[in-house]
Amino acid sequence: MQDLLITWIASIPSLALPYALASVGLIISERAGVLSLGAEGLMLVGALAGVGAFILTDGSGLVAMLASMVSAGIVSLLFAGLVVALRVNQVIAGLAIVFFCQGLTNLIGTLVSWQNQAVAGIPVLSLGPLADLPIVGPVLFRHDILVYLLVPICWAVHYFLTSTDVGLRLRAVGENPAAADAAGISVIGTRVAAIAAGATLIGLAGGYLSVVSAKIWIAGMTSGRGWIAVALVIFARWKPMQALAGAFLFGGIEALIPQLNAAGVKLPQYYLVMTPYLATLAVMIWQALGTRPASEAPAALGQPYVREERT
Amino acid sequence: MPFWAGGLISLSAVLLGLIISAAILALAGVAPSSLLTEFVSAVADPQSLRAVLNQSAPLILVGIAASIAFRARFWNLGLEGQMIMGGIAATAISLGKVGSDDARIGLMALAALVAGMAWVAIPLVLKVLLRINEIITTLLLNYVAQYALYDLLFGAWKDPADSFPHAAPFSAAERLPVIAGWLQYGMVVALVIVLLAFWLLQVSRAGFYLRFIHANAVMADHMGVQTVRIVGTVVLASGAVAGLAGFVIPSGMEGRLTQGFFEGYGFSGVLIAFLAQSNPLAAGIVAVLVATLFVVGQSLQIFYQIPFAMVQLIQAIIVMCVAGADFFVRHRLILQR
Amino acid sequence: MTGVRKSFGAFRALDDASLDVRWGEVHAILGENGAGKSTLMNVAAGLYSADAGTLLIDGVACVFSDPRDAIAHGVGMIHQHFKLVNRFNAVENVMLASPRGSYRRGLAEVGRDIKRHADALGFSINLDQPVGLLSIAEQQRIEIVKALVAGARILILDEPTAVLADDEAAKLLQTVNNLARSGIAAVLVTHKLRDVQAFSDRVTVMRAGHTIATLDPRAISSDELTTLAVGSKIVPPSRRGHTSGTDRLIVRGLSYGPQRRPRLHDVSFSVRSGEIYGIAGVGGNGQTELTDILGGVRKPVAGTIELMQPSGACVDLTSSGPRGRIDSGFATVPADRHGQAIASSVSVAENYAIAHVHKGRFGPWWFVNRASIRDVASSAVREADVQGVRSVFQRIGLLSGGNTQKLVTAREFSRMPSTIIVHSPSRGLDVRACAAIHHRLLAARDNGVAVVLISEDLDEVLSLSDRIGVMTAGKIVAEFDAPADRQAIGRAMVGHA
Repeated sequence: MQDLLITWIASIPSLALPYALASVGLIISERAGVLSLGAEGLMLVGALAGVGAFILTDGSGLVAMLASMVSAGIVSLLFAGLVVALRVNQVIAGLAIVFFCQGLTNLIGTLVSWQNQAVAGIPVLSLGPLADLPIVGPVLFRHDILVYLLVPICWAVHYFLTSTDVGLRLRAVGENPAAADAAGISVIGTRVAAIAAGATLIGLAGGYLSVVSAKIWIAGMTSGRGWIAVALVIFARWKPMQALAGAFLFGGIEALIPQLNAAGVKLPQYYLVMTPYLATLAVMIWQALGTRPASEAPAALGQPYVREERT
Repeated sequence: MPFWAGGLISLSAVLLGLIISAAILALAGVAPSSLLTEFVSAVADPQSLRAVLNQSAPLILVGIAASIAFRARFWNLGLEGQMIMGGIAATAISLGKVGSDDARIGLMALAALVAGMAWVAIPLVLKVLLRINEIITTLLLNYVAQYALYDLLFGAWKDPADSFPHAAPFSAAERLPVIAGWLQYGMVVALVIVLLAFWLLQVSRAGFYLRFIHANAVMADHMGVQTVRIVGTVVLASGAVAGLAGFVIPSGMEGRLTQGFFEGYGFSGVLIAFLAQSNPLAAGIVAVLVATLFVVGQSLQIFYQIPFAMVQLIQAIIVMCVAGADFFVRHRLILQR
Repeated sequence: MTGVRKSFGAFRALDDASLDVRWGEVHAILGENGAGKSTLMNVAAGLYSADAGTLLIDGVACVFSDPRDAIAHGVGMIHQHFKLVNRFNAVENVMLASPRGSYRRGLAEVGRDIKRHADALGFSINLDQPVGLLSIAEQQRIEIVKALVAGARILILDEPTAVLADDEAAKLLQTVNNLARSGIAAVLVTHKLRDVQAFSDRVTVMRAGHTIATLDPRAISSDELTTLAVGSKIVPPSRRGHTSGTDRLIVRGLSYGPQRRPRLHDVSFSVRSGEIYGIAGVGGNGQTELTDILGGVRKPVAGTIELMQPSGACVDLTSSGPRGRIDSGFATVPADRHGQAIASSVSVAENYAIAHVHKGRFGPWWFVNRASIRDVASSAVREADVQGVRSVFQRIGLLSGGNTQKLVTAREFSRMPSTIIVHSPSRGLDVRACAAIHHRLLAARDNGVAVVLISEDLDEVLSLSDRIGVMTAGKIVAEFDAPADRQAIGRAMVGHA
């Protein structure tokens, strides 16, 4: 029993990472006022690019992760062009990007035969003697490098948003683009940069999912994690550290499923798989029932900005 | 600008989207000329024309379902989930042999309607009572429905005859009939729904109010419009029509409930509604065009080994081109601040 | 600035406009709504680019590419709608416009700079609270300091007193004068004659995009100044003596909002038929909430609203929604025209017809008669003299503010209401449209309608109302009969601030 518990907890960070990075990436763009529903698609792009780069470079984890970040960033520019320059409705553009990415990754994955190829993944970095400690060892000190970097990354984004000049300007663009514009801040430039920066994290989340977690690329493998990340951002009230906490919650739920199976608990397989989605719904309902005085969303979230508007 | 200029820009955008898609396909090994012949033969060859029309029926239905929901400012992205529930409900009636042979197909359709309505009711209630945004809730319920389907198809409803993950085939009485040897009855159903949607949106009083709800819900409230009642009714209708689509495919096309019958319809519905600007008559026409795309995609898959996901990609590219082009319709480009 | 031209599409906003401001003076730009004052200043502040014309500062020609560029040249603007991020505090807001590189050091530096300017001008600014929680007057002071910290030597204020009570306005304009004395060139964009005469050194009058004249406001009479601004003499609608009837609308003890900081507190008043009851007060004191509650869109936490029907029956409207109000002969013209009174993308005809559709005027529930709507709307448009309607099926959003208001008012009156609530009916309207609306209201009052006029424009309230209630901090603090003493009203407005 205790072994199962330890195994369960030790497996959580790895499963939480995609949710965490995707949410934090979304927070960056949403704090600038852009509702990025394309996360599901960008994760797929990152996932495919990660596996592809891994195969092409004969196993370089670093290149694979970089590839997933860069590829998602590039695709996000397409999204940025649509919503910031062409002022397309952010929901439509987000959906279109998701389906574009789903189709594109499916197509490329099949044509270049990257799919269904097992990859070696990134090695686990055991931190020497610390990793051999009972209980604490496997839980905290036996992970791959990205997991170790997870908390610093989230904290860095938090610091960036709350305690830097650039972060202040980004938040201003998300709260009141007219005020930011009058202060001389480029609303368009800030939003495009936020979209791209956020996308790199989302892509990384996808790359981790395919190269490290599943060690394989399968079409559509993100299975809605992008949508869950969008819900997580709302649940985390647009704060990176809270998103991290929420991600651990979801990672915990996801990690529970194989442990229950191992424990011999006989539950209908597909209903178990449903749990993350039902959990997301439950979380959204629970949050809506709570009494919150004012919305914590960035005030201008989802609204395109035009300087000279005459009806 | 003249009223037809907008249409012309949108049309060129669609063409641009198709050209981009053709370029991608060329990279994947399909010569543009062969692509063109595929498109032409899809409508010229009577066999494929029949396939296109049959494929149109469920597409019209999801297109209408999306359109009426969008007119109520409700992002019904759960079309696939509602289809699945509709299919499950209809199959339950079939497997349970409920009712007489003559009445059963009607009961199946009715069950599908109710199931689709019930599945959209969940996000609807969450939105009305708790103001939870329906984009995520409808999407999440798609996954829930999908896994519920798998649970049935891989478990209790697995066809004992061949042990494949699909349900036992429907009996002849449970299949939608074919008229005059070539026209699927599903098409008739679709046409009826188009006319009903047209009546609802353009002729009825509810449609009149809906225009205000869509444009400015606050103003509609001020004018005493029963916003919640109208939006609720329209959204439930949307779910019902999507559920009906989930009945038309197994009963009209595949003959049984299968694993992936719903795939691709969710976004196609949104695409159709978007291109048709939620106009029911236009949606009917756009749906036929999308059906052509589906049929072409199927033959690309068979003859050129291009995965069916290409169809999804082409649809997404077209949406992005048209959405982007709308900018030029709304704004005359002045190259200065 | 000379020869400035600016058009928005086919609309000529500025036609050969010019302006000449000296260092150390307070220069007013006077004109009615739509004259082009704000547009001209937006060009000066770098928000718009002019189609033609030049801008010289100290004789040096400048072309601003954006607001930051303008500020770099020393031109700062305080807009009517403040460009403040509500969630940030004062220091963060000021730092947006004057970035200092390092975040923490910058905050400390900017904090000190703010204190310096505020002290020099004689007021204090709350540095820690989110700006959104501060009063309008304080937000305005932050905007001024923000411009000063960013290095503005030319300060443009767009309708600064529109949102202030009389005495806060006086304080602000005194501050502006102090700034001018220290060498700053201050430009005051306003339509208020009183402000121009009391506080400015020179005034430039604008009308319909043209610069009409520049003169010393003390050397010319008010009437002459008004004529210059409007182009002709406007006769204010005369209020005939009248006899009002019995109580029609009775509001008792209305409260709304959270316990500790209620937006409305125990509001009570009554309006008789054939009477205009004006509610005066500076915006933000609960007027919007009151209009919403009277219109049935918000539910009060406590209190009752009763309507006495001509038959003598008393209808309790407190908990009925908008439909219930409408059915009882109530009509509302809200202040936020585009947000609450019309649906911009829907046609003129339908926006008019919606008032009567539910009664079956245009067909049963399963059929709406478009031809009938077209006919009825067309004649309504003609009667109300709504300009700019090429076809009644065009989008209503294309109409100007004044014409939209004419249509909305016509629609509400077409309901034949026994009681009508109007909130800020002439906001943003030019004088002619204003006069038309006022005539309508007086005519309704003469016909026995009970009119509640809620307006931030004290002149409007004074000229139309038979009785006046003063609203401050969510309470009716005083009531006056016409003709009312403006000073007394002003005192009542700030007495409970």
